[in-house]
Amino acid sequence: MASLAQPRAQIQPGPRWLAKESQREALAGYLFILPTFLGYTAFILGPIVAAVGISFTKYDILTPASFVGLENYARLFSDPRLRTVYGNTIFFTVFAVSLNVGIGLLLAVLLNRHIPGPLKYVFRSAYFFPVLVALVYSSIIWQFLYQKDTGIINYYLGLLNIEPIAWLSNKQWVLPSIIIMDVWRNTGFAMLVFLAGLQNISTEYYEAAQLDGANRLQLFRHITLPLISPTLFFNLIIYMIGALQVFDSIMVLTKGGPGDTSRSLVIYIYENAFQFFEMGYASAVAITLFIIIVILTLIQFRLGRAWVHYA
Amino acid sequence: MASATEIRATAIRAVRPRVASITGDRLLGIAAIVVLAVGAILMVMPFLWMFSTSLRPSAESYKLPPAWLPTQWHFENYAAVFQSTVPFLAFALNSTKITLVVVLGQLITCSMAGFAFARLRFPGRDVLFIVLLASLMVPYQVTIIPVFIIMKNLGLADNHLSLILLSLTSAFGVFLLRQFFLTVSQDLIDAAKIDGAGPWTIFTRIALPLAGPSLSALAIITFNNTWNNYFYPLIFLTTWDKMTLPLGITALRGYLSSGNASVVMAAVALTILPVLVVFLLAQRWIIQGVTQTGIKG
Repeated sequence: MASLAQPRAQIQPGPRWLAKESQREALAGYLFILPTFLGYTAFILGPIVAAVGISFTKYDILTPASFVGLENYARLFSDPRLRTVYGNTIFFTVFAVSLNVGIGLLLAVLLNRHIPGPLKYVFRSAYFFPVLVALVYSSIIWQFLYQKDTGIINYYLGLLNIEPIAWLSNKQWVLPSIIIMDVWRNTGFAMLVFLAGLQNISTEYYEAAQLDGANRLQLFRHITLPLISPTLFFNLIIYMIGALQVFDSIMVLTKGGPGDTSRSLVIYIYENAFQFFEMGYASAVAITLFIIIVILTLIQFRLGRAWVHYA
Repeated sequence: MASATEIRATAIRAVRPRVASITGDRLLGIAAIVVLAVGAILMVMPFLWMFSTSLRPSAESYKLPPAWLPTQWHFENYAAVFQSTVPFLAFALNSTKITLVVVLGQLITCSMAGFAFARLRFPGRDVLFIVLLASLMVPYQVTIIPVFIIMKNLGLADNHLSLILLSLTSAFGVFLLRQFFLTVSQDLIDAAKIDGAGPWTIFTRIALPLAGPSLSALAIITFNNTWNNYFYPLIFLTTWDKMTLPLGITALRGYLSSGNASVVMAAVALTILPVLVVFLLAQRWIIQGVTQTGIKG
């Protein structure tokens, strides 16, 4: 019947109670999503439009905004601090993402072996728990651990005859210190996601390859890695988006110092907006971050779909 | 037809590496456990140090070599947290209040919208859903400036309502519950419709009672995000008495018994405790929620 392919309401009006029924359902649908869309309009859609508008103005909240055209965007290219801040953020992102994802994958592969149940449970919990603890608390703890004279990290390094390191006040060490803590805190999430991915791989592939005499490295290279690539990609994108927004840990540990050496993009946005009240410029900087995140998400969406086929 | 020799050759190939690698396998297994154990100890050490320091008298909080397991049980530091000039109890009450309201609010708004997107037919449904999902890409640093201006104009700066209103619904929660409601059998819903049940009845009597595990996952994730949130309180709250735990402890750690490590660690231990309890009680749901939805805390 051809008419079945057509929208039913137009071709076959049906008995009147049915039309009434679907009207009632539509009304219910709109009412059900109303609270969510009120919040969405007030706190996401409206503010994005407003943020774009504000980025073309000079605005300090207290006095009315004045339109300055592309001035804030021109400033993006001439601001040497922004260059430093972007450099720091990219440095942090590259190392934090590769270490978090790499170590997470290693842990998942190790955990996916035949390990006695209770032991597996303990390991999984130990690696995952820090993910649930607020970053600011972990940072407060690590700030004590990182102290130059009283911290226990330098104490143990001292036993190995390593000179005490000023982890948080040395310009060379400050970003690596923040990265080390970030990996300690976040790698358990990647581990869990990888573990779920590994458990979806059928053991038949491994058995077949073993019959053909493949060694362990070949198994990993030619079976595990291709089959886990969608998961790997997912983790990379999620961690990249998170790392580009690094804020809490730096606020507690260094507030961006010494100098600008650990100042991240979001710290810079926060300071411009809420300490210098340069709302226009802060919005312009925030919009650059937004564009990068949209691009990363779209890549994830496109490639994620392409990869589903051989998952 | 494979000849007898061919079959034998395959069999030997199959068996030989196995036999050779049984001892290798066991060794690798032990090595894996050793590596994992060393790593796990490193993971736990900062928390152990926090706990043992919180139980040491202040004079010994920087004791080196560090004691990992509590050598003494001085609970004075915990008492000092509550007696200090820092309004720790107020922080805890504020955090509890905000977290409870937000979790409850999200359970209601997200389950309603999730149900509508999954099971109700209305014009524009799919477009609206995609528009909503797209908002997951928006970093909160972009929206925070206009949101702050809105709250300030509403007179809600330095008010818990600003934090609550901002988080009463979430695109992620709607997505999570929509995915669940899509799995509810259509036959069940049709049967209820024939019996004359309207959308509200189907939602509350049929769909919601089945959604327990998904609602728990959302509740736990929202609890954790709200309880740990630092950025929004930092932007909105300025009065000490109104602060939440992460903001208050971070801002005031210098004042807690003049920044004494043992007292600060006692305060941090107290705030991590609820998270640990939730984790131990609900580990299965947390891990399911994380692996199915891929949301990062």
